[in-house]
Amino acid sequence: MSEQRFATTLLLPGGLWLLLLFAVPLGLVLAASLGSTDDLGNTVYGWHPENYRQAFDPLFLPVLLRSVGFAFATVALCLLIGYPVAYYIARYGGRWKHMLIALVVLPFFVNYLVRTYAWVALLADEGLVNGAITNLGIRDTGITFLNTSFAVVGGLVYGYLAFMILPIYAAIDRMDQALVEAGKDLYGTPWNTFRHVTWPATFQGVLAGCVLVFLPSVGDFISAQLLGGPSTYMIGNLIQQQFLGADNWPFGAALTAILMAFLSIWMVLYLRSAARASREAAL
Amino acid sequence: MLRDIDDFLAGRIGRRELLRGGAGLALGAGLAGCGLGDSGSGSKKETEKVVKAKPDGDLVYFNWSEYLDPALIKKFEKQYGVKVRQSNFDSMSSMMAKLRSGNQYDVIFPDQSYAPRLIAANQLLKIDHDQLKNYDNIWDFFHDPKYDPGAEHTVPYGLYATGIIWNEDKISGMTESWNDLFREDAKGKIFVLDDYQEAIGMANLRNGFDLSTVDPDELDKSKQMLIDQKPLLRGYSTDDIQNLINGNAWIHHGWNGDVVNLRNQVKNPESYRFEKAKEGIPVGTDTIAIPANAQHPGTALLFLDFMMDPENASQNVAYFGYPMAVKGAEDAFAKIAKEDPAVQITLDDVTNGQQYAYLTGEDKALWDRTWTEVKAA
Repeated sequence: MSEQRFATTLLLPGGLWLLLLFAVPLGLVLAASLGSTDDLGNTVYGWHPENYRQAFDPLFLPVLLRSVGFAFATVALCLLIGYPVAYYIARYGGRWKHMLIALVVLPFFVNYLVRTYAWVALLADEGLVNGAITNLGIRDTGITFLNTSFAVVGGLVYGYLAFMILPIYAAIDRMDQALVEAGKDLYGTPWNTFRHVTWPATFQGVLAGCVLVFLPSVGDFISAQLLGGPSTYMIGNLIQQQFLGADNWPFGAALTAILMAFLSIWMVLYLRSAARASREAAL
Repeated sequence: MLRDIDDFLAGRIGRRELLRGGAGLALGAGLAGCGLGDSGSGSKKETEKVVKAKPDGDLVYFNWSEYLDPALIKKFEKQYGVKVRQSNFDSMSSMMAKLRSGNQYDVIFPDQSYAPRLIAANQLLKIDHDQLKNYDNIWDFFHDPKYDPGAEHTVPYGLYATGIIWNEDKISGMTESWNDLFREDAKGKIFVLDDYQEAIGMANLRNGFDLSTVDPDELDKSKQMLIDQKPLLRGYSTDDIQNLINGNAWIHHGWNGDVVNLRNQVKNPESYRFEKAKEGIPVGTDTIAIPANAQHPGTALLFLDFMMDPENASQNVAYFGYPMAVKGAEDAFAKIAKEDPAVQITLDDVTNGQQYAYLTGEDKALWDRTWTEVKAA
C-alpha cells in the first residue's frame, strides 16, 4: 500500500506541471473564446457564443479543408520517407544505431522557426539552390519553389519527420527478429514477409507516427506563413491572425477550441485502435 | 519561452531579415505555449511617475527590423554603458498583441494611428520635456501633433509614404498607379504588404474611396478587389527589402524609405525604384514612446534624447531612408531626395495627406473582418 502511495507521490510534480501549464491555459482559452473585445482590443470575459457561430461561417471551410489536406499529404510523405529510414537504422544501424537516432533528433536543437527561415534563404528565386541550378546550366531559369503549396507541405514534412521516424524505429527495434526469419523459413518472398510479418508487427508504431505528425501539421502556421503564398492559408494562420493581426482574441480562442475538438476525434480513434491492439496482443 | 526565441533571433542569428517575420511568429508560438495573459489598460497614475534621464539598466528595445541604424545602437551602448536588448515586430497589430500579452519594453515605435490607442489606454509614460536636452531640436509642428496633443507621450520618428517599389531589371513600364500591383505580366512576382491597414487602404484608394472608409459597401468592394488580385500575387509580406533582394518580388507594395535602405544593401542600387500612386497614397508618422510599465524608463529617456540629437538623426536618416523631424537632420534627407525625388516626403505631405484613421469598436472590427476574409479566401 505504501509503495502505491509512494508511486502516487511521484505523479505530483508532473501533475502540477500539467495543471499549471496545460489545464489553466486551456481554461483561459475556453474562457476567452466566450468573451468579447473592448475598443483597445483587450479581451473582456463574458458570454458571447456568437464567436463560435462566426467560426462556422462557410467562408472558413476551405481553410480547414486545405489544412487537413496539407496534413494528410505531410503524413503520407513522412511515412514514405520515414519508414525506410527507421527500418534501416533499427535493422542495419549496428553500433551506429544510437548515433543515427541522435542525428534524426539533431535538427530539434535549432528552433523550427529558424530552420524554416533557412529554407527561405535556400529556396528563394535568386537563392542558393536556384543559383546553383542556373550556374550549373541545369536550367536557364530557376524554379519557383517558395510561396507554393509544395513548399508548405515540404516545410511540414521537414519539420515533423522525426515524429514519424522515432515511433516506427521503436516498433521495428522491439520486433522479434525471429519473426522475419520464420517468414523466410516458410518461403516468404522479402515483400510477402514484409507485408505479412513486419508491417503488421510495426503497424502500431506507424499509427502513432501518423497521429504525431498529423496533429501538429493541421494546426501549424509557420510553414504556410514563411513558405506559403497568398492561397495557402491554413487554420493555424487564421488563428494566429486573430491574435496578432485582428485584435480578436475571443474569435481566435473559439477557432482554437473548435480545432482542438476536431483533433481530439482523431486522437480518440487512435487511442481506441491502440487499446484494441494491446488487448489482442495480450490474448 | 517567448523571450528566448526573441533573444535568440535578435542576438544570435543577427540576420536582420529574420526578424521582421520572426517576432510575430515567435509571439504566436509563445501564445500557443503560454496561454492568454491580460494586461488591459494601465492606470493614469502609472503614466505620470517622475523619471530622470539617467541610466537605470539595459534598454529593452522593440521596433520594426531594419528601421534604425545598428551602428547607433552600438554608439548608444558605449556612450551610456548599457546593453540594448533588441526584438522586432512585423506589424502594428503584432506590437499591440505583444504589449497586451504583458511583455515589458523600454522603447516602442507606434505610428500615428496606434499612439492614440496606447495613450487612451494609459499605456505610455508621460515624457518630461525638461529631461530631453534635444527636445527643442524637434520640428515645431511635432511639439503639438494631432495624434499626441502637447507631445506628452511620444517623440516623432520617421515620416513615411506608402507606394510601390520595383526592380527595373525585371520589369518596366510602371504607371504611377496602384494598377501596377495588378499587372498580369508580373504575375507571381507581386507582393502586397501583410498589414490590414495598408492592404485595405490600397484597395480603397484604387477604388476611389476614402483611405479610411468605414462604409460596409465600399469595404466589401475593396475586399473583392483584393480577393480578385490573389491569383496575381506571390504573397503578403511586410519584408519588402528582403523579398526584392532575393528576387521573389519584382513589384512590392512598400514604404518609401525602404527602397533607400535596400539600395544600401545591393550591388545594383539604380535598379530599385519607388513610385507614388496618383490615386493617392497613405502617409504617416512613426513615433518613439516609453510604455508605462517600462522597467528602465531612465535609459529610455536617454535613448529618445539620443535619437533627437541632430548628428545621430542625420546618420540614422542616411541609413534607413526616411526623414526625421529633427532640426539639423534635414540635409541628410535632402541629399537622398535629390538623388531620387520619388522618395521625397515633406511635412506638408504628412499634414495634408491621407492618414489611417484611429478606428474603434464596430469600425475597427469591420476592417479586421474584411482582412480576415481576404486572407481566408
